[in-house]
Amino acid sequence: MTSKTFLRNLLRVTILCVIASFVIAPLLATALGGFKTNAEIRTSAFGLPESWNFEFYNAIASDPAFWRYLGNSLLISVLAVILTLLVGAAAAYVFAQIRFFGSRMLFSYLLLGLMFPFATAILPLFIQVRDIGLLDSYWSVILPQTAFGLSLAILLFRTFFEQLPRELFEAAYVDGCGYIRFFWRFTLPLSTPILATVGVFVFVQSWNNFLLPLVMLNSREAFTWPLGMMQFRGEFVTEWNRTLAFVTLTIMPAIVFFLAAQKYIVAGLTGGAVKG
Amino acid sequence: MADVHLRHINKCFGPIEVIPDIELEIPHGSFTVLVGPSGCGKSTLLRMIAGLEKPTSGAIEIGGTDVTGFEPSARGISMVFQSYALYPHMTVAQNIDFGLRLMKMPTSEREERVKDAAKRLHLEPLLDRKPSELSGGQRQRVAIGRSIVRNPKVFLFDEPLSNLDAALRTQMRVELAELHQSIGATMVYVTHDQVEAMTLADQIVVMNAGRIEQVGPPMELYDNPQTEFVAAFIGSPKMNLLPGQAIGRDDIKSVGIRPEHLETHMENGKWAARAGVIENLGSDTVVYMETDDFGSVTVRLPGHHPLRTGDRVFLTPDEKHLHLFGKDGRKIHAKDALSAPAT
Ligand SMILES: Nc1ncnc2c1ncn2[C@@H]1O[C@H](COP(=O)(O)OP(=O)(O)O)[C@@H](O)[C@H]1O
Ligand SMILES: [Mg+2]
Repeated sequence: MTSKTFLRNLLRVTILCVIASFVIAPLLATALGGFKTNAEIRTSAFGLPESWNFEFYNAIASDPAFWRYLGNSLLISVLAVILTLLVGAAAAYVFAQIRFFGSRMLFSYLLLGLMFPFATAILPLFIQVRDIGLLDSYWSVILPQTAFGLSLAILLFRTFFEQLPRELFEAAYVDGCGYIRFFWRFTLPLSTPILATVGVFVFVQSWNNFLLPLVMLNSREAFTWPLGMMQFRGEFVTEWNRTLAFVTLTIMPAIVFFLAAQKYIVAGLTGGAVKG
Repeated sequence: MADVHLRHINKCFGPIEVIPDIELEIPHGSFTVLVGPSGCGKSTLLRMIAGLEKPTSGAIEIGGTDVTGFEPSARGISMVFQSYALYPHMTVAQNIDFGLRLMKMPTSEREERVKDAAKRLHLEPLLDRKPSELSGGQRQRVAIGRSIVRNPKVFLFDEPLSNLDAALRTQMRVELAELHQSIGATMVYVTHDQVEAMTLADQIVVMNAGRIEQVGPPMELYDNPQTEFVAAFIGSPKMNLLPGQAIGRDDIKSVGIRPEHLETHMENGKWAARAGVIENLGSDTVVYMETDDFGSVTVRLPGHHPLRTGDRVFLTPDEKHLHLFGKDGRKIHAKDALSAPAT
């Protein structure tokens, strides 16, 4: 009996370890690779470095261009997240609270966005953005990313908002609270789990997006880190250790953001924990 | 003055008519209880008074003003919900304060009122807690506190005690009655529990399928039910309703007799019966009997009683307390009853 549960647990832990190693090993190899010489990377990609060379990390961290890229990425991602959350939550709130003519059709239309592959849209998107005159600005990346994040955001938000008890709104309404105030004072504060979940999702997508900035941004001042990395790799083609150090440093913000929001995400995925 | 008038209220949800036509007067300062079985439209009626639901036609007046088109916050009402509907992310103090804040009341007065309400409801030590850290009874008090700080003309309650356990319910019932006595405001209270209605109300409105069956003080409804429905609904244990033949009348639908108005005899009487389950409550004894000819009958006997399950007995109703109901379910008045052929 106990040996059976032990075996089952052992199996479970083993499987989890294998899966985790698939995720962690490349990350670790990348981080460690930044300390190695090029020769060492080729001979032992996963081992610990023979000597810890901080020079590559230092070189990148002291390069103002790197911080520029990182800053651009951060600005774009944060704005995309804020916009997606605000617009998505506001739209979902209307869908959840108010029944109006054509609401179901409009909702289905918004959900169509879920099935629309990003790459297909890139050419019309480019033309549209060029015509509006936003090319080579941050908005040329932020706005499309927001638009593409909205489908999922609205879908998840609406489901979550609908689970807020109806009497909560009615009690606030009797107290003199209207729809808009209720949105700010109740819906948003009570929805942190789902806001965090969608926020992380949008952030990571935006942070790692390569295609859109590549098409929209031309000047180096506006480059995000994936573009910067390409630039960088062009300069140091054979120096893998520099590239790995670069990547390691740029992944950091995404990881930090994820860890900060993690606590809420778990709650968001298990859902519906707001019984008064 | 804060009397409430409902004038020819009609309410439909889409094609379904929930309330056909209701006319009701709730006097100033009264504790009026709307009582009726689940789904008969009590909540809907209350929500129309609150302004959460618009009547399909008809008008609602509070204190002489037609408030039919008013927002809930402009009606001078407050409402306590069945689920309490406390604001989960706010402390008790903030919950109570929220409505006052929206009224743009000066801070000093707000604090004064919150303190007052907290004191009245024994919430002072709990003011900094979140609703999730409170027990059911405490949450109920916060919900009540939230409604009394607004100093409403009319309090509305929708089954506020139904989520509490029996002991707490009795205690809160007493507290509500005290609250009404000390505030003296008009209160409208919805429940499906006739015991709550009997103990709290000075005016009971019995509803059935969207219609008002009878309006009156508890004892009048108890002593003098105007319809068969009210007779069966008010009182515990329920009034016995027997077919007309039981008193030799084929022209009526049923005859009602309360359990305490039946006498038992061992040798002779009107209806032969056999004792079933016997409940000894100490102060009195409730016996569920099976009559030979007219179905089951409940009898309430004073004090302890030597009767045993299976005993043969005879029951005799107290003629003065017979309630006769015609084919339409309405009461046949005494003088009509007298002119009927004797048994
Ligand atoms: N929003 C609504 N839409 C449709 N039907 C409703 C709605 N609210 C209540 N009803 C119907 O109206 C009837 C009365 O409901 P309600 O007033 O809640 O009854 P009660 O409070 O007496 O139990 C019920 O049959 C219910 O199904
Ligand atoms: Mg109800």
